[in-house]
Amino acid sequence: MVLIACVAVLPLTALAGASPFAAAGDDEELDAVHHIADGYYLDFSPIPKIELPRIFLIRDSAGKLKLDFFGSTKRAVASGRYDVIFEDAAHSAAAEDHADDEASHDDGDHSDETVEQDDGHAEDDHAEDGQAAAGAGGHNSPLDGKLVPKDGELVIDFSITRHLVFVWIVAALMIWLFVGLARRYRRGVGRETAPRGMLQNSMEALITYVRDEIARPNIGAKADRYVPFLLTLWFFILFANLIGLLPLSVTSTANITITGVLAIFTFVVVQMSGTKDYWGHIFWPPGIPIFVKPILVPIEFLGIFIKPFVLAVRLFANMTAGHLVLLSLLGLGFTLKSVYGTGGGYAGASAGVLFALFIYLIEVLVAFLQAYIFVMLSALYIGAALEEHDHHHGDDHAHDEIPQIA
Amino acid sequence: MLAVNLLSPNPGLAIWMTLTFLLLLFILRRFAWGTITSALREREERIDESIKSADRALAEAKEIQADNMKARREADQQAQAILREAREASEKIRSEEIDKTREAVQRMQEEARAEIEREKQGALAALRAEVADLAIGAAGRILDENMDGDRQRKLVDSFIQDLGTN
Repeated sequence: MVLIACVAVLPLTALAGASPFAAAGDDEELDAVHHIADGYYLDFSPIPKIELPRIFLIRDSAGKLKLDFFGSTKRAVASGRYDVIFEDAAHSAAAEDHADDEASHDDGDHSDETVEQDDGHAEDDHAEDGQAAAGAGGHNSPLDGKLVPKDGELVIDFSITRHLVFVWIVAALMIWLFVGLARRYRRGVGRETAPRGMLQNSMEALITYVRDEIARPNIGAKADRYVPFLLTLWFFILFANLIGLLPLSVTSTANITITGVLAIFTFVVVQMSGTKDYWGHIFWPPGIPIFVKPILVPIEFLGIFIKPFVLAVRLFANMTAGHLVLLSLLGLGFTLKSVYGTGGGYAGASAGVLFALFIYLIEVLVAFLQAYIFVMLSALYIGAALEEHDHHHGDDHAHDEIPQIA
Repeated sequence: MLAVNLLSPNPGLAIWMTLTFLLLLFILRRFAWGTITSALREREERIDESIKSADRALAEAKEIQADNMKARREADQQAQAILREAREASEKIRSEEIDKTREAVQRMQEEARAEIEREKQGALAALRAEVADLAIGAAGRILDENMDGDRQRKLVDSFIQDLGTN
């Protein structure tokens, strides 16, 4: 449902002619970190923010687990059953006021504490309260705080975040694209004849690249079993990275949770394909003096977890850093304007936009590069786990070392 | 707070993401990757196979061409040989014919010559007998009864014999 809402909203943003910086320039400062961080709303400025549903799994005072569903953060706050917590106290007070504001604004409408919230209703609410929601976009809004139940404790916050929405967009795009492509192959285009069209040819090039250049050289004989996993990983990361470069969209891979889950998938696949040799090399490395083993075994053991952790952090940090740099360069104009006046603003903006263009092109490269590195290293780890050593340990360890790529 | 937010994992999101990625993996594996990779493999094998069979066909064609050339050369040689043989045979036949004719002519000449000789001998013999008779008749008239007929004849015959050997 959220997905449909986003898709419906996209053309609207294109039609709205107003400058996207108008809102930012007037009453909001440009906060790069805030733009990259996850949130409980979609921001296709200049159209008003779209709040996403909040879902909480709570344990109430009676000790019973309960699922709470709200169409938006505003409704959750207005229900009166949740407190907004900010990290620093100054914000907290303001937010309380704000929340009260919201509650009086939407009077009466808030009996929806049950899971059976109807979707149409939620969307009407967005349309009506668009202006109010936009007003609530400042840093004091409950959207930036943490909601905790007044009664009982929060077990897990299952709220839909905008990064999740973009994960779903990427997933939907992939399913549409590749199931459609598979139908083409089933019809015989590309099976019995040459592939036709730019889409099929380009996708095929990427698919065969992953199979022939990533999976097969690194995994070996059993590579084809892992190709579907690697392909899914590769296209998911690539599309998420590239979609994140589109105006108004969000980079879902610039989120440590998302990249962490991807790395956990790699971790699970690697451990599940581990041979006896693989575990043997970790817990009783052969060809090494006994007194070294107590040092080496913990290191090897930690390595199992460090590898996927590094995978997750690398992707997250690269995507986050790139976007931070982009936004910082674009913010140069605003900063110089506040220091040197209008002239400085123009100078800063023109320099900033040029630099940003340069960084943007690099970001396109990085989008491909990081997807490649993630999948490449995943394949390498799987290959290392599958490797059957024939116990001559002279040069074997040379290629056991995984190259560390930034 | 925001910087912390960037780095703090969100368990709810992690569960959503896990479910999403599992579902994505399942759907694509079931409905997309299998078909696509098998189609690619099939196509690759077909291309491999057609290149190999084209190579084989080319080699075969070359072999056939070589065979054809060889056969043609052989046929040429054979035709040449046949022609030569025919020429030789005809030459032989002609010369034989000539020889035969020449022989026949010779034989006929010899036969003719022999006939002439025989005729000549016959004629000579007849002439001699006539001449002897004439001479006897003449001599008898000359000598009258002085010699009987048999003595005269012997005389004349020996005379003619002498005559013949000269």
